[in-house]
Amino acid sequence: MASLAQASTALSTSCKPTLALSSRVSSLKSVSFSITGKRFPSLSSRPGRLQVSCSAKPETLNKVCDIVKKQLALPDTTAVTAGSKFTELGADSLDTVEIVMGLEEEFGISVEEDSAQTIATVQDAADLIEKLVEKKA
Amino acid sequence: MNIHGLQRNFCSAPTTLLPVQLPTRMESHLCGDELQKRALLARALVRTTIARYVDQTNDRVDPRSLNFKKNGYGKPEVEWQIADDWQPPALQFNISHTSSLIACGVTVDSPIGIDVEEKQRKLKHHILAFARRYFSSHEVEHLTSISDIEIQRQQFIKLWTLKEAYVKALGRGFSASPFKTFTIQLKAAAKRGIYLSRDVESEISEISVDSLGSENLTNNWQFLLLELAGSHYAAICMQKHNTLGGKGNVPIKLTARRTIPLVEDECVLGTSAVVPISGLTF
Repeated sequence: MASLAQASTALSTSCKPTLALSSRVSSLKSVSFSITGKRFPSLSSRPGRLQVSCSAKPETLNKVCDIVKKQLALPDTTAVTAGSKFTELGADSLDTVEIVMGLEEEFGISVEEDSAQTIATVQDAADLIEKLVEKKA
Repeated sequence: MNIHGLQRNFCSAPTTLLPVQLPTRMESHLCGDELQKRALLARALVRTTIARYVDQTNDRVDPRSLNFKKNGYGKPEVEWQIADDWQPPALQFNISHTSSLIACGVTVDSPIGIDVEEKQRKLKHHILAFARRYFSSHEVEHLTSISDIEIQRQQFIKLWTLKEAYVKALGRGFSASPFKTFTIQLKAAAKRGIYLSRDVESEISEISVDSLGSENLTNNWQFLLLELAGSHYAAICMQKHNTLGGKGNVPIKLTARRTIPLVEDECVLGTSAVVPISGLTF
């Protein structure tokens, strides 16, 4: 379930129950750990207890940013980052639907309404895209 | 059913509205000044509009005292205080905004959805490609049959607002009623009923919704389509009250006001600020 090999994240542990996470991924979406006892559970023995959400590739994020900028006709000076919320960038419902359509066309995927409703940020969109692209493969 | 429209360029002193308590904290961290202002104005519009229609004998309801909540699907609603000697009014509301207009519709005892859009709104995509992706096949057929691209674009915007208004009226989120699963039709209707006294020469067309194979009851929703302030289309969807034995449309008693919350307020029904397009017999 958790494939740490794909996330370029190095986890370093010590004997203490706290974790030091050195991350080379600038926007790791969510990490949840469950630690019982003092030792860090080994991945092989309890894969279900450790979840790491891998963030989307930078190229995906960049493409999403481009599509969003184009749809909303944002000047180049506007910062659009992974954490940017569509509504904060000025997107209304019609814009959001057009953005989703643009993403579908760019990545050759099909986004269901209930998934589309969960997209609030550029990061959300990129993560969903990668999930759908992976499913297609 | 009352519509209140606020045009943002009328609003001159937003700072006087700051004491209004924001019902959600979601928008407080917006960095965009414009968006924050708009959120504030929308809240003020809803509060002052609802407060106006709450009958509290001689006491005015303080707009600031209203509380709001969201239903299970995120649709905002008034959260009325529970009191022994007070029956909360059956008011329901919905709002919609564009960059230059905020509209709030209020009804008595009827779910309502409202959507406004600038008449001049242009899509980045080709209209028919967009419609093929998101609209029902009947709607695509209807749009395809329009040869004039400007009229086609206008009809698209009207359909979009009507579809949005319907889903917002249903109040169960967009994934509960994907746009492809229902068809909105504008049908020419024979002249009947009572019209506005002025020059409504053309046929008033009827708007209906057909749900394609879902369990949604569709014959108990009625629609209005208006042009507001010469610049916007407004679509309103509300539930019918079947007080006339279920047959025919119960006429909607409509008022429309142009308003700057706490500052100014004028009735604009019957003026050029509110022009009925479809679905209306007054």
